[in-house]
Amino acid sequence: MFKDLDPLLHSQLRLGVMSILISVEQAEFTFLKEKTNATAGNLSVQLDKLSEAGYIKIEKSFRGKKPLTSCKITKGGVKAFEEYVNSLKSYIKK
Amino acid sequence: MEKSVEKGMEPNQSLELIAAMIYQAKGNFKHNAIHFLLWGWVVLIGNVGMYFLIQQGVKAPYMIWLITLPAAALSAYFGYRQGKQSRVRTHLDTIYMWLWISYGMVIFTLLFFGHTINYQINPVILLFSSVPTFISGITIRFKPLVIGGILFWISSIICFSLSLEIQLLLSAFAIICGYLIPGYLLRAKKDN
Repeated sequence: MFKDLDPLLHSQLRLGVMSILISVEQAEFTFLKEKTNATAGNLSVQLDKLSEAGYIKIEKSFRGKKPLTSCKITKGGVKAFEEYVNSLKSYIKK
Repeated sequence: MEKSVEKGMEPNQSLELIAAMIYQAKGNFKHNAIHFLLWGWVVLIGNVGMYFLIQQGVKAPYMIWLITLPAAALSAYFGYRQGKQSRVRTHLDTIYMWLWISYGMVIFTLLFFGHTINYQINPVILLFSSVPTFISGITIRFKPLVIGGILFWISSIICFSLSLEIQLLLSAFAIICGYLIPGYLLRAKKDN
């Protein structure tokens, strides 16, 4: 039914993550996990998929001794998100 | 959410999800209250202190403004620590940060070169202060700061026609309305 919708974005968790990242400059893994109610494992897998598609950039660093993962949306990600929203609009108009 | 990860969504559901997530990522500016309180007190002490030093006939009453140097260092430290601790940085956070840093640069430039214009800088400082205070109030939707910004502007207009000593007292009043009251209200909001 929704052929034009980017399958990578047409999934609750990935769309949730992209919606957060489009409205902020960067967000930490723990923030995304809390806001999306996802498990760490699942979120990690979905973030990798978005990163492989070039939609987001994942940066790993350390805060003290704790590992820190933060994510940023890329230009390609913004474009994909906008196209997804435009496709949604056209479906709703139908 | 993870249970229905690969489940197809209706367009309306997608839009609702996008709206809900964007709402979740709204910035939190309440932690900035510390900067308003710090600068509110420092500038209040500076103005009232300089007024009394002039009354006492002290030779270099403007030396009291040296208290802004440790305050700037402390403010930078608070900002750095907040940046490290916050798990998310919004676009507004960035605008807010640079707005205040550039304001700080402008004010320090004025203080540094104030001697070339005989230190007639009080009205100008008040005028400059109205901009970031007002804009911050608008961006974080916090009325006391909006009112504070407007009061800075009105105070600057009055200040232009006052003597230096009275300017100091008016500046002290403006800083109470522009920084201290909004700062305490912002902090109280955080505690709720």
